[in-house]
Amino acid sequence: MYLPKSWSEIDVLQFKEIRELYSIQEVFTREIEILSALADIPSDDLEDLDISEVSEMLAKITFINSEPSKNYKHTIGEYHYKPLNTLTVGEFIDLEHYFSKDYNQHVGHIASIIYRKVMTNEWGETVYEPYEFKPSIRYSVFDEVCINDVYGILPEYLAYRESFMTTYANLFTDEDGSDEDEDEVPVTSDEAKAVALKKSEKKWGWERLIYSLCNEDLTKFNEVTNLSLIMTFNMLGMKKELNV
Amino acid sequence: MVTILGKEVPNQLSELTVQQFEDITTIHANQELDAIEKHIDVFTLLGVPEADWDDVSIEEFKECVKQFNSLSGKPDLQPSFEHMNYTYTAFEDTFKLSVRDTKHIDKVMHSRHKGYISEMLAILFKRTDLTKTEHYTDAHIKLKAKIIRELKADIAVPYLVEVGQKLAKQIPKDVPSEVVE
Repeated sequence: MYLPKSWSEIDVLQFKEIRELYSIQEVFTREIEILSALADIPSDDLEDLDISEVSEMLAKITFINSEPSKNYKHTIGEYHYKPLNTLTVGEFIDLEHYFSKDYNQHVGHIASIIYRKVMTNEWGETVYEPYEFKPSIRYSVFDEVCINDVYGILPEYLAYRESFMTTYANLFTDEDGSDEDEDEVPVTSDEAKAVALKKSEKKWGWERLIYSLCNEDLTKFNEVTNLSLIMTFNMLGMKKELNV
Repeated sequence: MVTILGKEVPNQLSELTVQQFEDITTIHANQELDAIEKHIDVFTLLGVPEADWDDVSIEEFKECVKQFNSLSGKPDLQPSFEHMNYTYTAFEDTFKLSVRDTKHIDKVMHSRHKGYISEMLAILFKRTDLTKTEHYTDAHIKLKAKIIRELKADIAVPYLVEVGQKLAKQIPKDVPSEVVE
């Protein structure tokens, strides 16, 4: 039975499979399921063994309790890393969507937004392919990529996001300055209505933002989502501060 | 048996049933009770009414607890037991803990529900006339646990110790790491 020795032998698809098994609450059962996934054998095949025998195998796969490498590759096949400070509004919204779910299960989706095809224009500059594809279709391109090659984009994005949210904190708070994530317990029916409205606004937050940026002209939807994220939020910040 | 306030109280593992042992374990695991309340509840369970302690000094009470906790002998692992003409076997020559049994025990231990000790034993002891599939069905485990609760605790404790030691040695303690947001 061959067992991988480190994350460098694990691809994105296996990583997702392993991370999904982390949700098993019982420690031993989880370890056995992960062991069988890594050995590519049914867990039933391990069940007649004595636990001292499997413990030797488990000792060989302790790397699963650590994180894969954070040193991601800048080029994966024909795909190239697109710096996070060049994100567009549309790319950011989709990344937020995948990070708000279980991002370990969406490594391929996230990678498909961050790694892009490139070409050199007539001025010799690198131009990234436009965001005109669906990550839900492209994600499988990364299934067989080593997890160590792409995993680092997750903590990098999270750090970028934290810095972004801090910079534009005033755009992510209510008029009264409260945090939008705050949980409120309504007491009166008016308060209940206000909370329901707030939840509804939160649910449609990005759609409302784009609709507003389009000046309520949906034919401009793509134009808005292709705008630079930083430029857009700078302008929104300016508008809010100057109340224009 | 020890005599506590004139009552014969079972205290040896060969005198307590698995059911009583489980109940005592539950009392001791109750974090809402202090040490004295736990001992009083244990004595109540074993036949000494709470009211009998009203006029007992703390020194006398301590002495009763000391007597009750005085255990003699260390029971061995019993490979099997008989019940209603059926034989239930945990092992033949040497006790081994299989991955399959451990997975089931892991599930039972994780739930920590009342009666988990007898259910753990029900996983280990298998009726010799049944198939592998039948051993682990929920209904059969519950039935075996019910039978085991009537047995003496000296069958349970050595397994608790053995399984606990094996699990502590074999199960990895590291928790999966996550990217911290």
